[in-house]
Amino acid sequence: MGTDSAETPPIEVTELSKDYGEVLANDSLSFTVRKGEVFGFLGPNGAGKSTLIRMLLGLLKPTGGTATVLGADIHDEEALIEAKRRIGYLPAQLGFEEAVTGEEILDYHASMKGEQRVDELLDIFSPPLERPIREYSTGNERMLGLIQAFMHDPDLVIMDEPTSGLDPLMQEEFNEFVRRERDAGTTIFFSSHVLSEVRRVCDRVGIVRAGELVELEDVETLLDQGGKRVRVHTTDDASGKITALDGVVDVTQFPDGVQFIYTGEYNALIEELATHDVHDVEISEPPLEDVFVHYYGTSGTESGSGTENESGTENGSRTENGSGTETRTDGESIDV
Amino acid sequence: MFETARYEAGRRVRGTVLLSIGISLYAAFIVWYFTVLEGVSIEKLFEELPPAMQDAFGAESLSTIGGFLGAEVYSFIWVLGLGLYLAYVAGGMIAGDVENDRLDLLLSFPISRGRLLAEKFASLLLPIVVVNVVVGCAVYLLVDAVGESIELTHLALTHALSIPYLLVCAAIGTVFSVLVSRAAIAERGAIGLVFVLFLVESAVGSAEEYDWIQYVSPTHYYDPTTLLVDGSYELIDSAILLLAFLALLLLSGIVFDQRDI
Repeated sequence: MGTDSAETPPIEVTELSKDYGEVLANDSLSFTVRKGEVFGFLGPNGAGKSTLIRMLLGLLKPTGGTATVLGADIHDEEALIEAKRRIGYLPAQLGFEEAVTGEEILDYHASMKGEQRVDELLDIFSPPLERPIREYSTGNERMLGLIQAFMHDPDLVIMDEPTSGLDPLMQEEFNEFVRRERDAGTTIFFSSHVLSEVRRVCDRVGIVRAGELVELEDVETLLDQGGKRVRVHTTDDASGKITALDGVVDVTQFPDGVQFIYTGEYNALIEELATHDVHDVEISEPPLEDVFVHYYGTSGTESGSGTENESGTENGSRTENGSGTETRTDGESIDV
Repeated sequence: MFETARYEAGRRVRGTVLLSIGISLYAAFIVWYFTVLEGVSIEKLFEELPPAMQDAFGAESLSTIGGFLGAEVYSFIWVLGLGLYLAYVAGGMIAGDVENDRLDLLLSFPISRGRLLAEKFASLLLPIVVVNVVVGCAVYLLVDAVGESIELTHLALTHALSIPYLLVCAAIGTVFSVLVSRAAIAERGAIGLVFVLFLVESAVGSAEEYDWIQYVSPTHYYDPTTLLVDGSYELIDSAILLLAFLALLLLSGIVFDQRDI
């Protein structure tokens, strides 16, 4: 696996940087996406994921380094245009014109890129083509977006937060679809800020934080290290016993219970819970920033010694550079 | 070829039809009004106005149907109305796409930015040409219907030579459109500039010391009333407009190409 080095990799990023002056959105990123894999580009909101994708498509000009997409240098407009015939793109915001029908949009896209697969895709996804976009639900719009991204049978598909706005069932269908496409030979690169989503479909994952690539690894490793966030409403006494389990980190007490990240055996947790008077329990995906805290230690200070990363002194909630705005990932509150 | 131009033009059909009908109806009203006013000395009505205003609306030879249409329809609707309309529409063209995150997808198409911009601009030819043809025919038939007559070549020239002028207005809008990322700002900027240029030309025309300023305004190079009344025009004026249009479009192309979207 991964030994077909004779072929040019679908995406090769070499020390790519984008400096907006006051904000360094991407700082010397380097990685390679191999042919026929699903590569997840994971990072919290504002970590510079969209910036990277938009540089790959020639929408933004890098301030340093370079990248090739299907062999085309992103600085070379002619070559990139040629490569775009074989690239599908699903942006985070589709921005279809409100008054236009889905059919008109697909016709336009077909005339620009081709429509070898459109019938087949319409069997899988079924947006109401005869209706104008203003009547579309978010899910319908995403489906139309997926159709346009795959309709010309591209070799590489780049997707920016493809599952945002999809309900869990549709996410599952999407994952299934992505796997099938991968098996059919399409290389897929997508960004996400949700760990679980990336886990389920990606072969490899690159984790970006504050514009820097901090981890590049396969999904197995990530699976082992991820953990779940557990929130238990119970007595103080029970809280103490539960958090004494192996694999409990990042414990936060609140008035009638406790919250922690759990990386141990599920059975052990459930057995322990069963022995106490539990009023409520919630097991969920930890926000990505908490996963980082887990990776780099709760205080974050030790990461400062090894690399010249951001100092991490403000704990897990350090503001990302992105557009200087939000840092939180899942919109859930975190008691730090 | 020209898929984008075709798609964008398709999006303009409705507006173009409405615009053509609207202006034709206004022209019909003006033609009818002319028949009502016959016998009244119309020029007297305008004598009260300051000279700058008279110039602005081309209030010469108002007693002929040509002069009357020139003042009431062409100076007003073509020079000002359509000029502003095209500046507005072109202003929203790219800036609106950026604002609505639409451009991401368009720029993922296998065409160059220059080509995309050129084709989007080309879609504006639809309203420019159709409004000219429809209203031109309507005016000719209406004038004929009320028993007046208008020189066909003068009318045709008035419409044909308006095209370079309207292209300049649209190109001004395009420059704004590639410069900013919000449609409303580009639209207002473009409208504001075209309107100021219109005012400057009419205001400065009568002040000799500063009359050079009028050469900056595209309105200086297109005078529909003179065209309608005696069919006189300078080809150099149209050439200047076409050159300005090409220069502005080229400038837009360069800005758009260099820009981070």
